[in-house]
Amino acid sequence: MRVSLNWIKKYIDLPKEIDAKQIAYDLTLRTVEVEAVENTEDKFHDIVVGKILEVKAHPNADKLRICMTDIGEDKPVQIVCGGSNLYVGEYVVVSKPGAEVYWHGEGEPVKIEESKVRGELSYGMICGATEVFLEKLFPPKDMYEIVDLKGIDCKPGDSVAKVTGLGDTILEIDNKSLTNRPDLWGHYGIARELSAIYHVPLKELPKVTIDKNLPKYDIEIKEPTKCRRYVGVEIENVCDKPSPMWMQTLITNCGMRPISAIVDITNYVMLAVGQPTHAFDRTHVSGHKIIVRNARKDEELLLLDDNTISLTEDDLVICDEHDAMCLAGIRGGKKDSILPETTGILLEVANFSASTIRKSGKRFDEKTDSSIRYEKNIDTERVDEGLNLALTLIKEIFPESKIIAYGDEYPVKTERAKIDVSEEFLNVRLGKVLPRKTIEDVLTTLGYDVIYKDEIYHVTAPVWRSTGDVSIKDDVMGDIARLLDYQSFEPQPLTISFEHAVRQNKVLLERRLKEYLAYRCGFNEIYTYPWIDIKYINAAKIDTTNAVRLATPPAPELANLRSSLIPGMLEAIAKNLRYNESFRLFEMTQVFEKGEYHESTEDETLPIHKKYLIGSIVGKNPKEIFYEIKGVIENIAKYTHMEKLSLTQKEKPSWADINGYLNITLNDEIIGSLGLVSLATMNESKIKHTNVAIFELNVDKLNPLPSRTNKFIHLPQVPLVTQDLSILVDDNITWDEISMYIKKKVYELEFVEEYRGNQVPEGKKSITLRVKLGDGLNTLTSEEITEKMNSIIKTLTNQCHATIREE
Amino acid sequence: MNKEKLDAVYEQGLTKIANTKDINELQEVRKDLTGKKSELSEILKSMGSLTPDERKEVGLKATEIRRVFEEKLAEKEQALINSKSVLDEPLDLTLPGMKITEGSLHPVTQMCYDLNDAFLSLGFEVYEEDDISSEKFAFDNLNFAADHPARQMMDTYWIEGTENKSANERLCLRPHLTGASVRYLMKHGAPARFVYPGRVYRNEDVDSGHERAFFQYEALIVDKNISFSSGMVMIKTILEKVFGREIKVRMREGFFPFVEPGYEIDMECLVCGGKGCKVCKHNGWLEIMPGGVIHPNVLKSAGLDPEEWTGFYINIGLERLVMMRYGVDDIRHFHSADIRFLKQFK
Repeated sequence: MRVSLNWIKKYIDLPKEIDAKQIAYDLTLRTVEVEAVENTEDKFHDIVVGKILEVKAHPNADKLRICMTDIGEDKPVQIVCGGSNLYVGEYVVVSKPGAEVYWHGEGEPVKIEESKVRGELSYGMICGATEVFLEKLFPPKDMYEIVDLKGIDCKPGDSVAKVTGLGDTILEIDNKSLTNRPDLWGHYGIARELSAIYHVPLKELPKVTIDKNLPKYDIEIKEPTKCRRYVGVEIENVCDKPSPMWMQTLITNCGMRPISAIVDITNYVMLAVGQPTHAFDRTHVSGHKIIVRNARKDEELLLLDDNTISLTEDDLVICDEHDAMCLAGIRGGKKDSILPETTGILLEVANFSASTIRKSGKRFDEKTDSSIRYEKNIDTERVDEGLNLALTLIKEIFPESKIIAYGDEYPVKTERAKIDVSEEFLNVRLGKVLPRKTIEDVLTTLGYDVIYKDEIYHVTAPVWRSTGDVSIKDDVMGDIARLLDYQSFEPQPLTISFEHAVRQNKVLLERRLKEYLAYRCGFNEIYTYPWIDIKYINAAKIDTTNAVRLATPPAPELANLRSSLIPGMLEAIAKNLRYNESFRLFEMTQVFEKGEYHESTEDETLPIHKKYLIGSIVGKNPKEIFYEIKGVIENIAKYTHMEKLSLTQKEKPSWADINGYLNITLNDEIIGSLGLVSLATMNESKIKHTNVAIFELNVDKLNPLPSRTNKFIHLPQVPLVTQDLSILVDDNITWDEISMYIKKKVYELEFVEEYRGNQVPEGKKSITLRVKLGDGLNTLTSEEITEKMNSIIKTLTNQCHATIREE
Repeated sequence: MNKEKLDAVYEQGLTKIANTKDINELQEVRKDLTGKKSELSEILKSMGSLTPDERKEVGLKATEIRRVFEEKLAEKEQALINSKSVLDEPLDLTLPGMKITEGSLHPVTQMCYDLNDAFLSLGFEVYEEDDISSEKFAFDNLNFAADHPARQMMDTYWIEGTENKSANERLCLRPHLTGASVRYLMKHGAPARFVYPGRVYRNEDVDSGHERAFFQYEALIVDKNISFSSGMVMIKTILEKVFGREIKVRMREGFFPFVEPGYEIDMECLVCGGKGCKVCKHNGWLEIMPGGVIHPNVLKSAGLDPEEWTGFYINIGLERLVMMRYGVDDIRHFHSADIRFLKQFK
């Protein structure tokens, strides 16, 4: 919303030392957010009034003239001009060198320089309306017409901004910060806040007394909850003429377009007090009666452009005795328009409920200056402010006008909210004891009535705040705090209670898991969207029967919410392969599936949520990355201090290679898997020329241990004996078997390497293992060593059919 | 004659020591100068032909020379050891060092953990709500008007099959975190102080400043007899943790359904230091988080008596904070999963 300071000054005398910037700052802190301050005069620099003294032909151009013009300087200047309406004695708008104008009203501003036009010197230019931001005040007939300032009080050299009244300071207010304040949608409301901030008196709005003996205008309200009040005033002896310049400029500066005196008055009233009003040509209202009712089924409203809209039974319409003339509070129909031949009007000043306007507005996707205001829920007393101001202005602009009928249907009146606020409540919640006078002053200047008795403030909120905005004592407390400036309240320290330390093992575990992967294992953490491209779900062969879906997904192929982190990971890998050959990614987040789960109450049923952790290693050599990812999972429990996980091959995950996978189990329950991604899944995910190993596990199943699980073992007192052994075994003998047989014979067993190839027969493999012998307390003799080694070799030969490789 | 010869041996010996290049050569030199077959030994051996006085003189001098040689040899040996490198080939000191493990936490995770650390020190708990919530918890409980625009199909991601139902039965990807506060309070009661970070979802068009999925960090304290100005402490905690120093902030009027009074919290523009620049739209302040006193109706939804309890919320956008902290100019990076972006944050 644009707020004009010139307009505000009609209602309050601003303190002299306060400038626009300060006003913007104070309003922002206490009331509404002022987004920008615009000085409308700035763009009019070097644009002045000129008086044409002489018009001569241009020697080199038929359509151009040479105008000798008085611009208030020592002597007249010569300006070349192509205007179609030039005459001697005309007052025109001159852009002097240095001024910035819009060439034919378009593009970027152009800086005027002293120049020659077809060989003749021109000191600046005489402007058309669109070139100097005047098109709203002086609508041009065509591009050759220049602005004629006839009728405007001015002399050569005057600033055009000043003489047109366009020089003003505008506060741009963020409409979002006004949503809860129906009282601030007009200048008077903003002036009221400023009067409270600066402790200056707010001037009263004009009052008009209406002759009680006037004939009654017939008004029937069929929906009193939707239309709480309707005033209709029939006025004769008006005509179609422009409104006065002061009104036009104020309206223009607030972003609206002057149209005619009647329409401008209704807009002016709305911008002044926030009360929308409307004027019908009185001859269009047949039957001399206004009916406010719900639209009939299949009823249509004829619009100004001869289109129609189909109404529903929920829409409120204003009708004459025959049909709907307009959609209440939102837009007019063809029948309600003011025409050049209009001589009498019916002025509507009404109150409609917010929800009625909001629903109809949404249905027709229509937001107007009027509907925006009604949507905020205006009080019914505002009708009087709007009516009085409108009648005052009509009388001023059409002195010969006459009220011939008047009606005021008022079924529902806004009651002022009454609230009791205890002194103790204010002291505690404000964190500060304020003098009674301060509290009373603040509230009174905002329009509250306050009675203090027995340590309680009995307050009555102003009617303009009583439509929902102020209803409980917290609202009153908020008003006091904001008006005194929140900064004037010292921050209160937070006390810490030492009853128990915050200890959330599950939260800690999640952090350890992430830090383990990132900082120990070299994975980069990614975030992906929960809506998953169906292409990757299919690639991972994941069943979508139980998928939770979005009603309005970002794109049709993104309707499924993830039930696994695999598809999102595949997409992330495919994307990163453009720039990287080998990398590691991980993500920890929730997955969803249909089901029933009650988080907070029995009557709220949510789908099943699980928190999953996924990690992937991308690299050329499948065996290498398989063992890498296996190592990550083998060590994860140790470094994150949780219950140990096991790995066995039980069930192949849909996305995994037929051989290269393992299931991650905890107490015999499968809680995840790891493995190489199958060729089919990689192909469908467009992951090419590389291999991927992935693990995915259910974090909810993990059991954090209550503290770190490190164990201390005494260091050996005598050195252990280390021996390496290379054996040849059949391909199908696993390390698990070898280790099972000899583990109990040694202090420590370590796998060194597996080898196939040169000197190893087909179907066999060579395994090198390292054993440490001894007990750390007694030194082994060489006989004992030989005996132990022989026993190991014997077991391997007998149980695993191993042969010892000669070095 | 012997005296002159001794002088010559002395001079030549010193030169030899000085010219020695390495340890092995030094061993040879040592043998030459002080060994049994050295010139010095020869001279001492042939002393029999001298008079006792001469013998004494030559003997003393030869012994002195031998002492000097041994001293110089020891010095030289030390010097040679000190000047020797363990490297046997040239070393380019400008070559890059070996790579360390190059993993990273997402910048939003990092920011979240930094904030958790600060709040944990103030005795806050960390709470997490599920991503899918209901209209009841996302809107009704929070005092949102029945026809609030955010409830529309256009603004929130509703779950298929529930979109035309209402309240408990209408499910959505949560549009903000505040619903979680009621869940926590229902479970744990009051007094309470907790933070609840998480991802929220809005159905909107994506550009460099807008995302459909983004992270918020909300903190709530509920207690008896606390004033709205206690919230200032939470705000300062966040900002000092993030920026590592005290940051000037201001609280101004703002409206949100679930608070009364509500605030917008601005911090001084870090780009211009509050003087006014393009980033802060020339007013010296940047809007960073909303906050406010928990609305009595919200306390009631959580089963708490608003006459007894009150509290203070703050809510901050984590991406926005990271963007301000590091000058990231496009919010779309955060969900891009692009390693080139992610690995910049250590």
